[in-house]
Amino acid sequence: MDEQTKSVTSSKQAPVIEPGYTFATVTDKISAIVLQRPTSNGWFVGFGIGFLLTMMMLFAIGYLFVRGTGIWGVTIPIGWGFAIVNFVWWIGIGHAGTLISAILLLLRQSWRNSINRFAEAMTLFAVSCAGIFPLIHVGRPWLAYWLFPYPNTMGVWPQFRSPLVWDVFAVSTYFTISLLFWFIGLIPDLATLRDRSDNRWAKIIYGILAMGWRGSARHWHRYETAYLLLAGLATPLVLSVHTVVSFDFAVGIVPGWHTTIFPPYFVAGAIYSGFAMVLMLAIPIRKLYGLEDFITERHLENSAKVMLATGLIVAYGYVIEAFMGWYSGNRYDAFTLWNRLHGPYAFFYYMLLACNIVIPQVLWSKKLRTSPVWLFFISGVVLVGMWLERFIIVVVSLQRDFLNSSWGMYYPTRWDWMTYIGTIGMFLAAIFLFVRILPMISIFEMRTLLPEAEVKE
Amino acid sequence: MSAAHNNFDLMAPPVAKTIRQRSLLVGAVFSVVAGMIAWKWPDQFFHAYLISYMDWLGIALGSMAILMLRHLTGGGWGMVIRRILGAAMRTLPLLALLFLPILFGIPRLYIWARPLDSIQDKLLREHLEQITKTYLTTNGFIVRAVIYFAIWGAVAFFLTKWSAEQDHPPIRDNSSRFKALSGPGLILYGFTISFAAIDWVMSIDPGWISTIYGLLHLAGQVLSAICFAVVVERILVRYKPMSELLQPDFVHDHGKLMLTFIMVWAYFSFSQWLIIWAGNLPEEITWYMKRLNGGWGYVGLFLVLFHFAVPFVLLLSRAFKRDVTRLVWLAVWLLVAHYVDLFWMIEPNFSKTFTVTLADLVIPFAMGGLWMSYFFRNLNAMPLVPAYDADAKQVLEPAHE
Amino acid sequence: MKRTPVYGLMAEFDSATALVAAAHRTREAGYKKMDAYSPFPVEGLAEAVGFHHDEVPLVVLTGGLIGCLAGYGMQYWISAISYPLNIGGKPYHSWPAFIVVTFEMTILFAGIAAVFGMLALNGLPMPNHPVFNVPRFALATKDRFFLIVFSSDPKYDAAATRQFLESLGPRSLSEVPG
Repeated sequence: MDEQTKSVTSSKQAPVIEPGYTFATVTDKISAIVLQRPTSNGWFVGFGIGFLLTMMMLFAIGYLFVRGTGIWGVTIPIGWGFAIVNFVWWIGIGHAGTLISAILLLLRQSWRNSINRFAEAMTLFAVSCAGIFPLIHVGRPWLAYWLFPYPNTMGVWPQFRSPLVWDVFAVSTYFTISLLFWFIGLIPDLATLRDRSDNRWAKIIYGILAMGWRGSARHWHRYETAYLLLAGLATPLVLSVHTVVSFDFAVGIVPGWHTTIFPPYFVAGAIYSGFAMVLMLAIPIRKLYGLEDFITERHLENSAKVMLATGLIVAYGYVIEAFMGWYSGNRYDAFTLWNRLHGPYAFFYYMLLACNIVIPQVLWSKKLRTSPVWLFFISGVVLVGMWLERFIIVVVSLQRDFLNSSWGMYYPTRWDWMTYIGTIGMFLAAIFLFVRILPMISIFEMRTLLPEAEVKE
Repeated sequence: MSAAHNNFDLMAPPVAKTIRQRSLLVGAVFSVVAGMIAWKWPDQFFHAYLISYMDWLGIALGSMAILMLRHLTGGGWGMVIRRILGAAMRTLPLLALLFLPILFGIPRLYIWARPLDSIQDKLLREHLEQITKTYLTTNGFIVRAVIYFAIWGAVAFFLTKWSAEQDHPPIRDNSSRFKALSGPGLILYGFTISFAAIDWVMSIDPGWISTIYGLLHLAGQVLSAICFAVVVERILVRYKPMSELLQPDFVHDHGKLMLTFIMVWAYFSFSQWLIIWAGNLPEEITWYMKRLNGGWGYVGLFLVLFHFAVPFVLLLSRAFKRDVTRLVWLAVWLLVAHYVDLFWMIEPNFSKTFTVTLADLVIPFAMGGLWMSYFFRNLNAMPLVPAYDADAKQVLEPAHE
Repeated sequence: MKRTPVYGLMAEFDSATALVAAAHRTREAGYKKMDAYSPFPVEGLAEAVGFHHDEVPLVVLTGGLIGCLAGYGMQYWISAISYPLNIGGKPYHSWPAFIVVTFEMTILFAGIAAVFGMLALNGLPMPNHPVFNVPRFALATKDRFFLIVFSSDPKYDAAATRQFLESLGPRSLSEVPG
């Protein structure tokens, strides 16, 4: 608590919350976005676009159910096309939310308090988008529940030596815990909305969701304990999720997949893309809703620093992987490296290096780190770069493996693209809904950042 | 900055000098024995020497890494051990000197430096015929070692120089320079320690690779460094000024750092094991076959239990993490366990069955005695807290917290 | 009318500092059954109203242990006993492969235990509560701090307690109907 208040009041960096706010004004400002502010036309346009893209995705998926996965570009040898690329991309994006909420909470980085709520929401929506892909990729999605161990008349059980089953557990645990974490974070704010709403129905709905929260000292104590413990649990969990995703690849012996650096390297890449997405959302939202006082330059700069650091870990991964490919003398590993640099998808590999490694280095400049326009642009570049990375890992590794008789190429079809772009629409639509009906900044945690929150002896 | 800092002397207590002298004595006595071992059983000497060297080097480099981490993140936990870490980091000149004997042991330690004709395995011989022309050469080995030490030395030099400036009324605020160096410094550390680990340890078995290997060493180094800092703070806390500086909150943070790096170490180790176990490729799994058979498996089990499981459970307790008198025992334990970890990584390359030689028992003390003596010399050279650092008030004025 | 028509007496304060001080003084005055309400967690407030034993960590630990054992046990039973399959020549009981799901199950159970354990210990959901009968209490989720002395306290006396609470200098004082 001491460090928190100090970081608010005395700091050379931009403050985490502009001075002059009180408990009442913080509450009013954030809750007014949900309760008073009229729904703008811009909101309807944004939500509408997201909604239409979602419809396009549903159409593509509907057609998939009718015709089967043959409408996609996946063939042998590349059986894991867009579905897995997009799955990994979305799951990676989802990592920033829990990282901001849990890890930064444990590290007592109080600046997180104004961005954790919507970062957590982003996590949930990103994981939902991710979850769609393996589900529709299994071919017979109506039997997807076979992935879970449940007693059945067939007497069969999942095969627990397969990383794909681990993934089912990891992703569903991750979604559940993220949802719980987000929800218990919301309870006190739902109570605030309940007490401040004029609309009868809103009062009832927020009231039900708040579950009768009244802010009792005993309740707060248990609440804080549970929140902290949940953060402690979510931290290894979030690392484990992308680790398990990396096992999907690394446990197999395909050159380009089977490498021990994958777990930390995937986790770093996930955080990298996650923070890029947080910035891409936070920058327009703070502008549109006038939240520059709460999401300050400090937040942008810190997020940029995290991006820079994780981007460099990703770069470390590339260097070590390339070096070992050469050093090991393993001809298949060496060929994988050669194929990335000179094969048919070489252009994408160079693009990837440019987007993930070269361009983000401009973030060493403090000027660019604090410029919303530049950050928005660089975050977009990173998101493209991280998508390309998954494309390279999935497609280029499968494309040419041990036997040249089994080499092939991968060309995504329009159905692949429609599904992919559709999930981006679904993600946006969900974000628009979220900022409209729930407080996008944690009100009670913002109150704790104010100097007057400190108990003086 | 007020005169408040001068209320008590910030220099290390006299006990540091006593330990320094005793360490030197231990180091000298054991060095004599080590010298005799080198003369009698040179192979055993070099094997044990490398293990011991990686262990003590790890504390110095890990301290440097934590120091840079502190410069980037701030916090009282780092300020209170800052000069302990700094003193450990400044043992690098001694470690550079201690590296020299390894150069004499290159042919005894590394198969790639021996005539390749004697190698039975055809695949390995073909591979070595290639790689010994380009990368794994004695000259390359030396040149790269010089580069690593130059980089570490440069980082340590500037960190020390700027830190020393903060013992006096400030000419300028150094915190931004520390930040500017620490970001790139940590990256350089990550790369150099990885390649150093490949050169010095992984290349003992030149047919085997693991891309996470460098990070595994990195995690072990940082863990042993924080444990070492806890041990030293425990020794100093009995005397002024540390007795007035060390707050339970800081010890708690050190405990958390230990817990974190135990988990990171376990995470890296398990990831490597699971991926190699599942892949089961002959060129990879042999590394584990050597380390799980012939009695080595028990050492592996020991590591799982005592480098991870037991310390992990102990560190979950909040009370345990806050009490330095109890935490220190775990820190000592983990320093031993880390040595066992390096032993398990290196020794099975040379011995099919579990064996502990006299050298394995003597050389850690020989090297450690000298190292500790040098460490306490460094610790005596500067005050325990840079009083004019802008953040120093976090530990010097606890009443205002 | 119910047997205890009054649930308690509630005093309203402006700041967290005032609330903590008031809670301490109320306890020192000999009151045992009391509670405090604040719009955000206030350090030391729970201790001030006499709350010392937080069972949440124990619940979480129990949940985690159950998840851990259930996770490993399930995999062992399925893979080695109920449905043994030879996969890549790996042993039926392949412990390295079982670690991941065991870990996930530990976290899942512990997390669920944390959230639902916390809610259950807090007696939530509880849609209505006597304190909500005080109109000003709506500000407890905004910027006001409340202290209540329950009428079930042995020392509770409508007049004396009111007088005592008034001496703490509250912003307002209300009787909470039961």
